[in-house]
Amino acid sequence: MVELLAQTGLNALYAASYTALVAVGLVLIFGVMGVINFAHGELFMLGAYAIVAVYADWNLPYLVAVAVGMAFVGTVGLGMERAFFRPLRDNPLGGLVASIGFLMILQALVSMGFGVRMEHVPPVTQEVIVITERVRLPVFRLAVILAAVVLLAGLWAFLKKTRFGWALRASAQDPEAAALQGISINQTARIAMFIGAALAGVAGALTAPLISVNPHMGHSVIVTAFIVIIVGGIGSLEGAVIVAVAYAFVHTFVTTFFDGVIADIVGLLLLLIVLIVKPTGLFGSTDRA
Amino acid sequence: MVAKMFKNVLTRRSLLGSGAAVAGSAAAAAILPRKAFAQDKVVKIGFLAPLTGPVAAWGKPGLDGCLIWGEWINAAGGINIGGEAHAVEFVAYDNEYDPAKARTGATKLIREDGVKFIMMLGGDTWPGAQPVADRTGMLFSTLLPSDLSPDTTTLIAPCEVHPIYNVTGVEWLADNMPELKTAVMCAQDDALGLPSVATYLAAFEAAGIEMQDDPLLFDPATTDFAPVVTRLISGNPDIVCLDTCYADYVHPICEQLFQQGYGGQVISCTADFYQQIVAKTSEEFMEGFVFQFPDFDDPALNDESINFQMPNEFYAAYASRYGADQWGAVSWEYASIMDLWKAGAEKAGSAEPDAVLAAMKEGGTGLHAFGEADWWGKDLFGIDNALVGNWPIVVIEGGKATIKEFRSIPEWYAKHGELLKKHMSAYGQMWDQRT
Repeated sequence: MVELLAQTGLNALYAASYTALVAVGLVLIFGVMGVINFAHGELFMLGAYAIVAVYADWNLPYLVAVAVGMAFVGTVGLGMERAFFRPLRDNPLGGLVASIGFLMILQALVSMGFGVRMEHVPPVTQEVIVITERVRLPVFRLAVILAAVVLLAGLWAFLKKTRFGWALRASAQDPEAAALQGISINQTARIAMFIGAALAGVAGALTAPLISVNPHMGHSVIVTAFIVIIVGGIGSLEGAVIVAVAYAFVHTFVTTFFDGVIADIVGLLLLLIVLIVKPTGLFGSTDRA
Repeated sequence: MVAKMFKNVLTRRSLLGSGAAVAGSAAAAAILPRKAFAQDKVVKIGFLAPLTGPVAAWGKPGLDGCLIWGEWINAAGGINIGGEAHAVEFVAYDNEYDPAKARTGATKLIREDGVKFIMMLGGDTWPGAQPVADRTGMLFSTLLPSDLSPDTTTLIAPCEVHPIYNVTGVEWLADNMPELKTAVMCAQDDALGLPSVATYLAAFEAAGIEMQDDPLLFDPATTDFAPVVTRLISGNPDIVCLDTCYADYVHPICEQLFQQGYGGQVISCTADFYQQIVAKTSEEFMEGFVFQFPDFDDPALNDESINFQMPNEFYAAYASRYGADQWGAVSWEYASIMDLWKAGAEKAGSAEPDAVLAAMKEGGTGLHAFGEADWWGKDLFGIDNALVGNWPIVVIEGGKATIKEFRSIPEWYAKHGELLKKHMSAYGQMWDQRT
């Protein structure tokens, strides 16, 4: 039983890592721009397809492919900001609808370019750390966990220690007051969108060798991300990280000890309870970023 | 990648995402008969299956196979109906595995395209098309006989009797590896997964193999299978059964089994694109993997009892056109249904649905791809509209799928039918339990 608990804990850590990356990106975009980006799951999908193209098809090194994926998806995010979200800044519902339309466009484009079947991504490494006979941690999963920790720590440092980070947080708290202080709302929106999209992209790129890469893979990710950010408090980065970890542990342990369907029900029940008891989410406040 | 995109755009785009009109045109253009047929001597066949979306792997390869089948038939003189040669033309409609789109597609194929027969994957999409079938009397086929009921008089399951044939794999395992005593199973919680769970439970019970745990059901939206696999192998089972999981699940589950150090037997209904699983795990890990769908380059398919025309050549043409790694469980199935339909139409001297159906079912037997078979199913489906006979047991050996044996589904059912009905009832999968 101890070994089962330990293996499940390791599984949960991995799930928490990529869930946190996706959720934090989504929160950042909402926090600064006030837009619910329904296409966030498709940005995750684009990151995975960057791995298919650069790593699997062009045979370039995996880390190069991750960097390309991160930059590419971040750039797509910039394009979304300029094309959809900026013109619709005063119309949050319009931004949401635009993001729904864009997710369909991305799915169609990827289907046309790559086909609808799942893509084969060769394993980066098959090395496994054998802790005991029943407790094993594949090296690649460990790398994903570490990468997520480094990226989230870097984001935290960026937001807390740099002028751009202060500007982002100020824009998130009160856009008008921030503008009066000379902070460019357009620039902070661009930065937020680039970072948020890049985080989704890098999450997709990091996990691509471990999951089924197909044009519709973003769906399940966005559902989980929404649960996390609602429970964490929409706009709260700390809440997103903490709840991503907690949700991943609950979901993984319930899946292991009951089954995956019950795990989904438990996740949605938690969402309902939080919405009833604390509608702003566990860490929700006026200080959104 | 650019070349890949270019190739995909040129050869696949119209069939993937651009809707029925473009797809139908592309299909028609692709199979224009080489032999000259009179303009009105064309019989149109509807292909109403998922060509995009998560279930496309069980639709699109089937259309690809049908296009080859159509080219061959037309080149050989077409279909002889009432003494006149008719070219065959496939009209595709992408239902995206959506019941509403299936209904729209069925209506369009019948009213606008004038098809004489519609092939479907079935499952969640059949309830969408059924009212159209009831209203028009159109002959439909499904790969999933769980769609059958006494009310579906114009629906046939003439190829794949999913999931009943899975019993043959378990029976073969028990006969050839009697040391395997315990099993666990996982499945997605949907219309494909649950009847298969019931079938495997019956097959394991019939074989005297003990289930270590209840089947582990997971949400079809699952992407990370580490927790599922951790739970599955926690009791060190002799057999891990992957039920009828989609390829999107079979691949990551196998990779997790490999990474978590499982060294036992794996059995699955399908192993689509299994070369990729071998690449992600190892040849040693995949050695002995049992499933139910052969590659058609298998020499065993050249046996005279096989009723699929030139299977090895068909596989070669498919691999040449689409790539060997794109061969899947359904690549041959819809084409084999067309063999049956062609024989029925030629026998009836008519392409009209009721005449073809009567000719197909005459005498209660038919020529299934894997040998002579019976029209069967009243016990389980309430109607004898499933063509059931032998089914192959396929094992991966040296990284390649190999047919080990053909086994009779009716013979298994004659011995263990009550077990199957018991488990189907427990999972609410009998025809009179379905809503």
